[in-house]
Amino acid sequence: MASAETNPRESILANVRMALGGDKPLFRGEDHARERPVPPAPVTHAEGDGLALVKIFGQKLEAISGSYEVLGEETQVAERIAAKSREWNFGNDRTGPDQEPQHTEVLAWAPNTLPVPELGSRLEEVGISLFVPGDMQDEEVRRRAAGAMIGVTGVEAAFASTGSIVLSSGTGRSRAASLLPLHHIALVPLSRLYPTFEAWLSDLRSSGQLTDFLRRSRQVVFVTGPSKSADIELNLTLGVHGPRAVHAILFPDS
Amino acid sequence: MIVDVRAPYKRRVEQALGDEGLRTALDRSTVRLSGKRTEAMAAIDGPRLRDQARAVREDAIRNLPGLLDELERNLAENGCHVHWARDAAEATRAVVRIAERHGVRRAVKSKSMVTEEIGLNEAMEQTGIHIVETDLGEYIVQLAGEPPSHIIAPVIHKRAEEIGELLHSKLGVPATDDPSEICAVARRALRDEFLRADMGISGCNFAVAETGSICVVTNEGNGRMVTSMPRIYVAIAGIEKVVPTVEDAVLLWQAASRSATGQDVSVYFSVSSGPRDPGHPDGPEEMHVILLDNGRSRMLRRGYADAALCIRCAACVNVCPVYREIGGHTYGCTPYSGPIGAVITPLLADDVTSARELPFASSLCGACRDACPVKIDLPRLLLDLRSEIAERKAAPALERIAINAYTATITSPRRYGAATRIVGWIARLLAGRKDYISRTPPPLRAWTRSRDLPKPPRKSFRAMWRDRSAGQRGEPS
Repeated sequence: MASAETNPRESILANVRMALGGDKPLFRGEDHARERPVPPAPVTHAEGDGLALVKIFGQKLEAISGSYEVLGEETQVAERIAAKSREWNFGNDRTGPDQEPQHTEVLAWAPNTLPVPELGSRLEEVGISLFVPGDMQDEEVRRRAAGAMIGVTGVEAAFASTGSIVLSSGTGRSRAASLLPLHHIALVPLSRLYPTFEAWLSDLRSSGQLTDFLRRSRQVVFVTGPSKSADIELNLTLGVHGPRAVHAILFPDS
Repeated sequence: MIVDVRAPYKRRVEQALGDEGLRTALDRSTVRLSGKRTEAMAAIDGPRLRDQARAVREDAIRNLPGLLDELERNLAENGCHVHWARDAAEATRAVVRIAERHGVRRAVKSKSMVTEEIGLNEAMEQTGIHIVETDLGEYIVQLAGEPPSHIIAPVIHKRAEEIGELLHSKLGVPATDDPSEICAVARRALRDEFLRADMGISGCNFAVAETGSICVVTNEGNGRMVTSMPRIYVAIAGIEKVVPTVEDAVLLWQAASRSATGQDVSVYFSVSSGPRDPGHPDGPEEMHVILLDNGRSRMLRRGYADAALCIRCAACVNVCPVYREIGGHTYGCTPYSGPIGAVITPLLADDVTSARELPFASSLCGACRDACPVKIDLPRLLLDLRSEIAERKAAPALERIAINAYTATITSPRRYGAATRIVGWIARLLAGRKDYISRTPPPLRAWTRSRDLPKPPRKSFRAMWRDRSAGQRGEPS
């Protein structure tokens, strides 16, 4: 074993052990062992059945400058994506009523990772094609991904009490799709809506999948509304580096 | 820059107090931030959140060696390279070596106090690497050539029009004081940096031992960019950042968000657990984690484990009446200001007396203790540090004489009574017609140079008490 003087790891750990080894209380104030509930109790709450949760989720998301809609059927998803795309892309830029409807390319997760079957072909019918990046280290792929105005992804789960979603990365599921475009559409099947973070964590923990899921995904990111900053005199500005608009489309699963 | 962080402490205080604009900016921002924190903690069971957050942090520090071991093992299993650094020099050398091995020319960094602490930007620039701050506030202070002045709001000391002028002179864009225009300029400039950089660098809010994950909290999305776009990702984590479980990290993230800005949670919480696998579209090809000591184990050995509980939310900074007057730069060459900065800056240094003025930059009002999400008894730590500094005879000779005289006075009721009468008489004379004493003769002159004293009332509390008791005697109770 390397000596503590020459090996940073050993010397740091030896110092920490020595510091913690004393018989004096480590912390000031109450030095009795505090009650440490494992897992910690939930911080936020959201109660009610499916639709009540949807409402709470939506209100929370709107309160932080996001938006949402609830559909009766998943077959409507493609048309709603097209409608949002028209709203964002063409809004003020439309030069005349007889202008050709433009074909829009959106940066997306691979169709087999999206929660709506046949979404790719349905979107083609309404003038939207999906660009699924293969390897973002490729110059051309990167340039094309960076040019997209809209990103479309699924979610791992959504949380009513905070209006948050959580996304995992992996094959077919780029980080870029929810990060580079100015607008992000998240597709949320109702079965993935949980009241709180803690409820979801507890489900994954009790089925023994939690640690594996995190490690396999390489990156898991919780997203709560659009990118924002208050750095300049605490003025709220949206879309600093990530999307300026986050729109959740919720729908019943098939 | 009005406050020169390299000037002596007294000079810094004078510079800060002479800057009306600074105080206006600080007042506006800190009062609003702390108001939002109060609301966010009242919206939930705040006391329980603080109790739980405290318990998690205590647990982590008590089990630090085992957790670091577990973290290291899991990081390595995830395919991360783990480096240990005893001090700033070892940490910056490790990052520079990684950069050199991969021919890195450009690096992007998300906001991280720990990289400020080790002077990473300077070290990278010296080897010719272009390194850019990507948090909007940090980007602005980097352009201005200044250090950040607040743990979570680095450019809190500047007004919008100053920032607009700065971007105009540095980037040649039209001057503006519209925050959303300033933001759009930064988005364009920084987007290009993100896409061209070879290396992304972040700090670490929490490191999860059981999964080998590095958690980064941001609102702007720069944390996601630096952990996802460049081919190399380096995270620098203080050894105290480790927590046992995923649930612990999610709890602390909520405690930090509510305490920092009053949000339920920050916009983004990125949990990175290794480089991308073959077939993944994005994410770094290599991930490095530097576990940094730089005075932390010494802080524990010195008996200040409480300070290692801190989750860097800056709630204590926002409520501090002293910070509100003097701002972050007055705390000197340190990214940590406010009450927590006054504690950890001297403690992280080789010698506590090297920043010996800082523990005295507090009125011990206790607002910080009540705001802290992990319930650190900051006034107590400040007092302990003060006495340590005094014991080391680092306190000025005159102050020691004064303290001895004070002890002699307050231990005798007769001497105390006489002293308050005399001091009261002199003080009223000094105040004259004003309600405040703003000038005193030496040796007190130095004290009143940056502080005002209220004019004492004609009657002391003891005298009032005596009269009141005399009046009440014999009355039915």
